[in-house]
Amino acid sequence: MASSSSAPLVTFDQVTFYHFERTRPALSEISFALPRGSLTLLVGPSGCGKSTLCMLMTGIVPHLLGGVLKGRVLVDGKDVSQTSVKDLALSVGLLFQDPEWMFATLRVEDEIAFGPENLKLPKEEIYQRVEDALETVHLTPFRHQLVWALSGGQIQKLGFASVLAMQPPLMILDEPTANLDPATTHAVHELILHLRQQGKTIVLVSKDLDEFIADADNMIYLAEGKIIAQGEPRQVIRQSGLHMLQAGVWLPEPTEIGLCLQEKGRLPAETLPLTVAEAKEAFSRLSFVSPKSEMVQPKDFGEALIEAENLQYAYTPKIPALRGISFTIRRGEIVAIIGQNGAGKSTLAKLLVGLLKPTGGSLHLFGKDATRWKVAELANQIALVFQNPEHQFLCDTVFEELSYSLLAKGITDPAEIQVRVVETLRQLDLQDNAQTHPFALSEGAKRRLGVATMLVGGGTQALIVDEPTYGQDRRMTERLMKYIRQLRQEGITVIMITHDMRLVEAHIDRAIVMAEGRILYDGAPQTLFTLEEVIRQANLRPTALNRLLTELRRQGMIIPPNINTVAKFIEAVQ
Amino acid sequence: MSEQLLAYVEKTSPIHRADALSKLLWVVIVVVATFQFQTTLPRVVLFFVLLFTALVIARVPLGTLWRVSPLIFGVAFLLGAFHYVVTKGITPLYQFGSHVVYREPLEAGGAYFFRLAIMVLASFLLIWTTDTYQLMVGLAYLGLPYRYAFAIFMALRYIPLIQREVEAVRAAHAIRGKAAQSPLKHRFRLWQRYLFTVIVNGLRKAENTAVAIEARGFGAYPERTYWKEFRWTRSGFLIIVSFTVFCVALIVWERVYL
Repeated sequence: MASSSSAPLVTFDQVTFYHFERTRPALSEISFALPRGSLTLLVGPSGCGKSTLCMLMTGIVPHLLGGVLKGRVLVDGKDVSQTSVKDLALSVGLLFQDPEWMFATLRVEDEIAFGPENLKLPKEEIYQRVEDALETVHLTPFRHQLVWALSGGQIQKLGFASVLAMQPPLMILDEPTANLDPATTHAVHELILHLRQQGKTIVLVSKDLDEFIADADNMIYLAEGKIIAQGEPRQVIRQSGLHMLQAGVWLPEPTEIGLCLQEKGRLPAETLPLTVAEAKEAFSRLSFVSPKSEMVQPKDFGEALIEAENLQYAYTPKIPALRGISFTIRRGEIVAIIGQNGAGKSTLAKLLVGLLKPTGGSLHLFGKDATRWKVAELANQIALVFQNPEHQFLCDTVFEELSYSLLAKGITDPAEIQVRVVETLRQLDLQDNAQTHPFALSEGAKRRLGVATMLVGGGTQALIVDEPTYGQDRRMTERLMKYIRQLRQEGITVIMITHDMRLVEAHIDRAIVMAEGRILYDGAPQTLFTLEEVIRQANLRPTALNRLLTELRRQGMIIPPNINTVAKFIEAVQ
Repeated sequence: MSEQLLAYVEKTSPIHRADALSKLLWVVIVVVATFQFQTTLPRVVLFFVLLFTALVIARVPLGTLWRVSPLIFGVAFLLGAFHYVVTKGITPLYQFGSHVVYREPLEAGGAYFFRLAIMVLASFLLIWTTDTYQLMVGLAYLGLPYRYAFAIFMALRYIPLIQREVEAVRAAHAIRGKAAQSPLKHRFRLWQRYLFTVIVNGLRKAENTAVAIEARGFGAYPERTYWKEFRWTRSGFLIIVSFTVFCVALIVWERVYL
């Protein structure tokens, strides 16, 4: 029976949980209560137990995936250990990171109706719920469309609508914006706030905290399966902010700056900005000098490696993906290709590694026409690391995986292979995983191994990485970026396909912005964020740091132009 | 985004407009007919009629048919070749050097080739022209428990997703280069790994889907509501009648005149 409205909607009482056949608990002695109508942020580094906690609230563990639950979890007055997943579905809706795999039907409206159909609701009520959900997420014009014809943002909205139609009092959103462009991410954020206003209780796992942190009622910070801090977000960050940064949690840039300045004694302990607006006030009395560290300025790069002139590609005559783009990429550059989902970025990457051949215009790769390269030969010059690195693994151990790449490059001497593999494992901090199956590595380690398989043995002149920060926490990303900077020092050109504007701002020499198969902008990222029309057309959004700097400059503060990271901001404060 | 080769494509052709159950019945009629023919010629005729139906009536693009042709003909060819080899020849037809081509193995090979090609093409035509949700509603209308109807539906729903996974794995492997000495060994290793990666990821995703739909109340009750009703259609009726008449005519023609 549902509890009264004044009681918490969710209660965890001394909960410890062990996954199936694991001896180490995924969650230890977790206790908290979530009031009805609240928005709670669940934060922590990768592998800290966030997803397990979400699955416990839905009953997926222990009922469907097994495991041992100690303590008590109550959701909407129902004891999770005593209630089936189906019965809990009336109280909890879970939106997965990739909603496409939770879809059960082909059409938008059928998908929304799927849950209410399972609940045996009368047809008239299902019609009403479908109408309401479509309207809430603004998908009414797309109601008859096939699911696979939707954009990334629309797929997320459909995921929301499908959960909404069940009318659960609790909605759990697990990284709902992980693979979306910045503007769509912003739209999804607004939708979440709208749902909270409608009285939904929301638990949100997200690394994009900028939008929510000021509006959230609670924050629960998990590390290694334990609650390190919980309460009102500002209080949690005051208490554990530095711990969070060290553990690899992404915090909004103004907050990171505030924490670092507090540590240096440059900001009073009671001042902790969570938003750009708050930071504008808090930092208004600071003065700046130019940071001493490396300035990001246009460099003289080496010779042209990739030259595209009016490059076109169409999957079929009706599906043009690239509509005549021109650019040149030189040796040693770090270039980001950015733009909304479906802009043509992945198609361009496939053309650059020879998996596709141009259907119009010209593309020269390393001085030779792209149509004359064989994929295997070109693989020695340019490498592509896929968004899911598992796709490119061929062997049963990490050691064999790297050996395979060396053999493919003609290095057959076993002693040399041994030396090179061991050295690469050391560089990547994977020496303890040499005999591990690649599929069993952590997400961060898989990504690093993916890069290494393409580069080990040398000879590679350019590397393309598809969404390098996808599924990575802050510590993993920093490790990967350190490795990529090393590669650049060795003269390797790095091309990143990304939605991560922090990455673009901090690590990129040049951004190529694409929309609908065309290039909208090609130049420095710092200039890009000043071009409102390009930002709008490509569904981008400047980072919080960039917006903060713009606001501070508008106030008349003199700030050096080369600040593009939190570290440089701190360094520049006098 | 690349084209989804084995997925429902929305169109307004008479085949698309026909109800899902009639089309399922039509596939059954075609399959039964292929087993009734005793010679290759009626199968060839039926195959080309199906091809005509796909291209002209259902308006399936020639490019799509071309791209799935390895699936239509590949296994059929292997099956046909196998029967050509194992069938004993009695009546010599041609001689190429020392090799004699006999009528019986040729007919057996051709029969199996066209039988399978017809079955695959008819099934693909069902996939291309049918909203599988309608098929699920139709099967439930016939009284099939909804869990079974849904299993068929999900299998069809998964084909394009698996296709995308296979394409991604194939592309990723292509750029890893070749480590093995013999191309055959390399190809074997790649296939072994395709299967491993596609199966592992497929199972993982299938588990995610199973968990996700259960979390949306699937299976909560022995019965469920369908917000859209099943209705027999006139075009479905016409397809069934025309193909039944055509297949019977072919059988009669074969028995009387061939």
